[in-house]
This record gives sequence, structure tokens and C-alpha cells, in this order.
Amino acid sequence: MNFRSISFRLVVWYTSLLTGIFLLLGTLFYFGLQHFVRTDMEHGQFHRARQIADTLLAHLPITGESALAGEIKTLYGPEINNRVIRLCRADGTVIYLSGRPADGSFNPAEVPAFYPHPDVDSSRKFNLTGGKIMLVVLVNYQAPNGDRYTVESGALMDPVEAMLNHLFIQLALCLPLAVLIIAGGGWLLVRRALQPVEQITRAAEQITQLNTSERMPVAQTGDELEKLSLSLNRMIARLDDALRNSTRFVADASHELRTPLTILHGELEMLAEDPQLPEEKRDRIFSILEEVSGLGKIVEQLFALSRLDAGESQTEWQSLDLAELARTTADQISLLAEDKHIVITCDAPQPVLIEGDRARLKQVVVNLLDNAIKYTPDNGAVQLSVNALNGHAILEVSDNGIGIPREALPHVFERFFRVDQSRSSDSFSAGLGLSIVKSICTAHGAEVQVQSTLRQGSCFRVKFTLEKN
Amino acid sequence: MRILLVEDEKKVADIIVRGLKAERFAVDVANDGGGGWDLAAAYDYDLIILDVMLPGLGGGEILQRIRSKNQLVPILMLTARDAMADKVKMFEAGADDYLTKPFAFAELLLRVKALLRRGPVNRSSVLRVADLEIDRLSQNVKRAGKKIDLTSKEYALLEYLATNPGRVFSRTMIIEHVWDQSFQGLTNIVDVYVRHLREKVDDPFPVKLLRTVRGVGYSLNDGAQV
Repeated sequence: MNFRSISFRLVVWYTSLLTGIFLLLGTLFYFGLQHFVRTDMEHGQFHRARQIADTLLAHLPITGESALAGEIKTLYGPEINNRVIRLCRADGTVIYLSGRPADGSFNPAEVPAFYPHPDVDSSRKFNLTGGKIMLVVLVNYQAPNGDRYTVESGALMDPVEAMLNHLFIQLALCLPLAVLIIAGGGWLLVRRALQPVEQITRAAEQITQLNTSERMPVAQTGDELEKLSLSLNRMIARLDDALRNSTRFVADASHELRTPLTILHGELEMLAEDPQLPEEKRDRIFSILEEVSGLGKIVEQLFALSRLDAGESQTEWQSLDLAELARTTADQISLLAEDKHIVITCDAPQPVLIEGDRARLKQVVVNLLDNAIKYTPDNGAVQLSVNALNGHAILEVSDNGIGIPREALPHVFERFFRVDQSRSSDSFSAGLGLSIVKSICTAHGAEVQVQSTLRQGSCFRVKFTLEKN
Repeated sequence: MRILLVEDEKKVADIIVRGLKAERFAVDVANDGGGGWDLAAAYDYDLIILDVMLPGLGGGEILQRIRSKNQLVPILMLTARDAMADKVKMFEAGADDYLTKPFAFAELLLRVKALLRRGPVNRSSVLRVADLEIDRLSQNVKRAGKKIDLTSKEYALLEYLATNPGRVFSRTMIIEHVWDQSFQGLTNIVDVYVRHLREKVDDPFPVKLLRTVRGVGYSLNDGAQV
């Protein structure tokens, strides 16, 4: 997975944002509820205690303490409601204490007294044996006759706490689940939204100088991506135009040069035929003729290059054995090598089938071998090999010649490039041989690479796709 | 021998006419397609040299018209384009040969003569140039009675030059004939082979047969001409 991809970052961002919001809301909700439930319970107890004080204690002198227990039981039923109610005099004597609650969850006698005795109404929490927590409120009451009483009302907090606990667990379980759903759903959504981007990327990758007339698919969605593909298409159109112009220029220029060159050549030939001409002048004319021939060659190569650039039709394509082609070519060119006492070894034992234009591919081998021979000193060695490797046909031409300086390596396939003007004594090799190799390889969808160490040699490697059977 | 030249570039036409006249050919010139067709329709020529790119009526169109009327006259096309598809189209339309500009006049002359001689071609099994003897059946080469050992490429080169003694063969022609077009870029391969051939055919003998015509090519002379 690409951690820098937009889809990944988007999902991470909004998942963490939503997780944060959920956490905040959950916390607020939980603690808000906790606070509400607890204060509500406390208010209920206070309310009850005051009622008892205001109604029962106020009538105590009339009804008497003995009737108190019955009245509280009838009116408030603390045992049934699992509450505790205790009435005391100011000196601490208990005048009423409710009985054991119906569920037997606590013993009212164990509920401790407030100590020190508060002067104002207050509430406290006590830990009972068994770890239970009880909330007890205390209300002071002064009867009209001056007697002071305290009313205590309490209940276990367990049901409330249990409810809160339950809620907490539910929240803690739901949150990760929600995050998972959000992340997964978000991933799918983002992927879907970015699908056209992937398509645009793939289509853009397909566009090379050979198919600039092709355009990218435009989804009529009216969104930003449609705009993007439209502008990319307009950019390709502009590039297409520029490329066409430059290709057409080279084609036109080399074409226009042909007629004047023919005239030059013809006139010079005629001049040289003149028997009256002194030998020295004839020699000069022949020297010019050589240059004109060389010019003609450059024009021809440029024209060939412009045709390759324009994506020459593939009508000449056929299935051919690259190994056999390499062997034949090496054999045909061997005399050039022998002339410099260079040994050409050809290692192409197995048939390697590819598809292509035989004449053009032969030119690749010829140009690479010629180049190797040219830049290898006398008594050197040139190796040619053809192998099939992982679905590719690999053609390699290596030599132990003068090599190419590191800084020149990226330029060797450029037109008219020469590592060193003084390197070549052959004035008609204009530095187009390797560009022709590159153009032919590109037209065949092949990749050509060069490695070289100065004074140790160079290696040119062409990678073709094997013919599919 | 009467030749029709249809070529719109006046200077190119001029050179060809002068050269052909020097070789004792009668030459008519048309500078556009219409005029060319008129001449071709009116007279019987032994050979027609036709430029492909012509104002008005194109070379290809004239070629078709001539062929519909006369199947036999040899036609040499001059072209500034050397795309494979064009060549195929030309041959399909009935052209006998083609020459791509820029060309050496020597090459044009050689092709013209080859086309004119097409009927009775020198098919004799033994070619003789001065004291050089080339047996085309056994591929044996002798000079002054002495056998010379040649590699197959050297033999092909020598035999090619010997088919037309005294005539200059351009490097382009030699490469196309002895090797193939893929070797077009490296003309020095011809020089190397000629040098090897010289070592065997000329060096041991006082009279040199192989002649270099700088800027044009090579020829095999019968010795007397130089």
C-alpha cells in the first residue's frame, strides 16, 4: 500500500477526525448523563427527607413518635423501595429507622451517622461493607417548639452505577466498530472517486511520441476529473502539434536538400570529366565531391530518422529470428573488424523469435557493431550476444574499447552528438548512427541502454519483447 | 537510342541531358507532367526517365498512362522519397527501376545502360577484363592465368564491377548489390573490401585494374583506358 497516496491520506484524515468527534461526543454524553442521574437521585432524596420533616415531624407532638413508623411505611415504603430512612433527635437518639430492604441489599443499621454533625442540609456517600456505595442526605429540622431533629434518607447507588457501566461498555464497544465501518466505507468511497484518476494515469503512461494522435478517455461526469482529462488532452494535442511540426520540418528540410545536392553532385562530376583540367584542380573537385556525397548521406539519415519519428507504418513487420540475424550480420561485417585485428565473437546459439522489420533491425545490429569497431583500438575484442530472458529478447554488443565518459552517457543517443569531435576521423559519420538505433528500437517498443567505463569498454543492450506464441 | 526525360528541376534536367548526350544518346526533355505525357504519347522512346514529383500531372499518373499504352518501354523513376511503401507502389505501377535523389550521374548512367541492355544481357559464363578472367559458374578468378583466392564477398564485389568494365559504380550501388540496405550507413565497408580485393587482384601485377573515383565510387578498368 502506498502511504503517500491521496486515498490513504484522505481515509486516515477523516477517520481520525470522525474518531475524535465520536470520542468527544461519547465522553460528553457519558459524563453528562452520569452527572444528571446522580444529581437527580440526590434531589429525590432531599425532596423526600424534607417532606418527612415538613409533614411528619411537624405533626410529631400531635401524633406521637409511635405512629411515625406506620406513617412512613405507608407513605414512603422505604423497605419496598430499597431505601433507608432514619430520624434522629438532636442528641443523636434514633426515633425511627427503616427496616431491611426487600432485596436485602444492605443492612440499615450499618448506615453510618454523619460525623461531624453538619449544621446545614448535606449529602454524603458511604462505603458499606461489601463494597456497596450508598448516597445519604441529611436534612435538619427545628420544630415550632424548639426541638431539633435530623431526617436522613438514603439509597444504594448501585443501580445507577450499573446503568452507567453498561452504557460505558456499550460506547466502548460501538466506537471501534463505528471507526472500522467508517474507515472501510471511506476507503471504498475514495477508491471509487479516484478510479478515474487511475484510468487517466494509465492512459497518460501509454502516450509516447509514437502515438501522440491518441487521446485519453473523458468521462462525461462534469467534475474536476473531466476537466483534468480535457486539459491533458489539450496538452497532448499541443505536444502532438509541436512534434509533428518538428518531424515535418526535418522531413521537409532533408527533402528540399536533395535536389540541390543532386545538382551539385552532377555538375561536379561533369567538371571532373573535363580532360583539359589540371590534375591539381581535378583533385580539389574530387575532394568537394566527397563532401557532397557525405552531405547526401547525412540528409538520407535525417530523412530516415524523421520517418521513424513519424511512426513509419508497420507493414514490413514479420516474425524473425534475432539470433540468426545477429550471426549473419556479424559475419558480413567481420572484415571491417579484421581490418583492425578486432575479433568479433557472436554468442547466439538459440533461436530467439521477435516481431519486427527485418531490414531496420539489421540496421540496429550493423550500427551497434560498426560503432563498437570504430571505438575499439586495434587488437581489441567485440562481443555480440542474443539471449531470451524472462519473456524478453536481449541483444548485447560489448567491446573493450575506449569507452564513453560518464557525463556523455546520457547523450550518446542524441542526434549529432559526439563524445569528442576529434574522436572520429570519419567525417561522414555525423553522429546519427546511434540515434537511428534508438529510433528503430523505440518504433519496435524496445528499450536500449548503454553502460560504459572509460578506457575499459562499452556495452549496448537492447531489450525486445519476445514474440507471443 | 532516344530517351525521354521528364524532370521539372531545370538544373537537374540540364545535367542529365548533358551527360546522356555526351554518351551519344538523343534526349527529349519535358519540364512538367503534361508536356511529358504529350511527348511519351507521340513518340516511341527506348527509355523514359520520370521524376515522381512533377507540377500538374504527377510522375505516378504518367507512369500508369504510359503503361496502359505501352507495356515494353523501360521506365526509370527519379524520386526524392525513399519510403519503402513508395518503392513498392512504383514497382507495382510498372516502373523498372528507381533512383533516389541525391544521386551520382555515374549511377544514373549505369542504370540507364542496364535498362537499355536488358534484352541481350551479358549472361556469358566467363567475364573478361584485360587479363582478368571471372568464371561465373565455378566462381573461379584468374589473372594472367594465375588463380586468385577470394572470399565470397570479395568475389561478389569483383563480379559486380566486372559486369560493366570502365563504368563507375557508386558505393551505394555496391552496398545494395553486395550487402543490403542495412549497411547503407557505413560506406567504409566498401573501401575495406576494395582494399582487400586490390591486395589480391592488383598488387601482384604491374597493371592496376581497380580504379577509385573519389566522391563517386569504384570501377574496374581494362587497363588500356587509364
